[in-house]
Amino acid sequence: MAHVAVTAIGADRPGIVARVSGVLVDHGGNLEDSAMTILGGHFAIMLVVEVPDGQDVGQLESVLAAEVAPLGLTVAVRPVSEPDPGGGEVADGSETGRSWSVSVHGADRPGIVHRVTRLLAGHQANIVDLSTRKVGAGDGSAYVLLLDVSLAPGTDADELGRELAGLAADLGVDVHLRPDDADVF
Amino acid sequence: MIRPVLRLPHPVLARPCEEVNDIDETARSLARDLLDTMRSSAHSVGIAAPQLGVSLRAFCLDVSGHRKARSCHGEIVLFNPVLVASPGRDREREVGREGCMSVPDLTGDVARAASVVVRGVGLDGEERELDCDAFEARAVQHELDHLEGLLFLDRVVSPERIFSRRVYR
Repeated sequence: MAHVAVTAIGADRPGIVARVSGVLVDHGGNLEDSAMTILGGHFAIMLVVEVPDGQDVGQLESVLAAEVAPLGLTVAVRPVSEPDPGGGEVADGSETGRSWSVSVHGADRPGIVHRVTRLLAGHQANIVDLSTRKVGAGDGSAYVLLLDVSLAPGTDADELGRELAGLAADLGVDVHLRPDDADVF
Repeated sequence: MIRPVLRLPHPVLARPCEEVNDIDETARSLARDLLDTMRSSAHSVGIAAPQLGVSLRAFCLDVSGHRKARSCHGEIVLFNPVLVASPGRDREREVGREGCMSVPDLTGDVARAASVVVRGVGLDGEERELDCDAFEARAVQHELDHLEGLLFLDRVVSPERIFSRRVYR
């Protein structure tokens, strides 16, 4: 089986997911992984879909585009490589990275996401989830940035925390770094 | 005896369990299997009977030595456990990230009561009542959910707070 990435965005309204998934099911597709949310009033869809070998990706995109055009959606279908089933796991079962959460909040200003992620990239930290929220409008508006990151083996979390604190002081925001190890029952 | 742990979507994990009528040799054997299987996984601090394919109200847990534990009753085996209402003290809830041997690929953020009192029957057939807080309270609530056919997936605080788990062995 092959995999395709399906992205779609458009003004939010009822029925979008049913339409998009209907076309995919009709083409023998299986939704392997999905994220859908509302971004600034637009409904955004990101999917990785398993499709039968030989599926014409261009044809699937055309059918999907025609189906969702009445809803005002912009769609794209692109081939992607096979997802890594091990999720980054290495052969001996040792951990490839530790899961941490970073939260940033403060007065809204340009560059918060860029400065924080640039610092994380400098430590080879891998961002696995990121979301932002703007609270309020105008001069008093606040910005919240939440990240889940996988720290590279050997990362000095205390040092990373100190650098984030320094950046936070520079940006006039609060930053918190905490481990997110799950407990297994 | 160490037994295989059932995984999602096995139907036994999704249905409420039956009461244990007698603490007889069958029940004690189940308890030994629960303990052996829990001990065999370095990451596990608790396991419930349905995870072994036995749809009976029984679980074991042990949070000894865990860094997040406050209350610690050591090795616990409970049959027919129930939460005891304790008005005015169970309101505080804490969010923590949980994983489950029956859901090997995912973790999720779950809000649980910060403290609970659980009552059940021990291996000796006597009724026990345990006052648990922090990590032990979370473990108790996770195992009690299994007896109702619920997984942590049914309790995550919001759909975006489910995560792919990297490695557990």
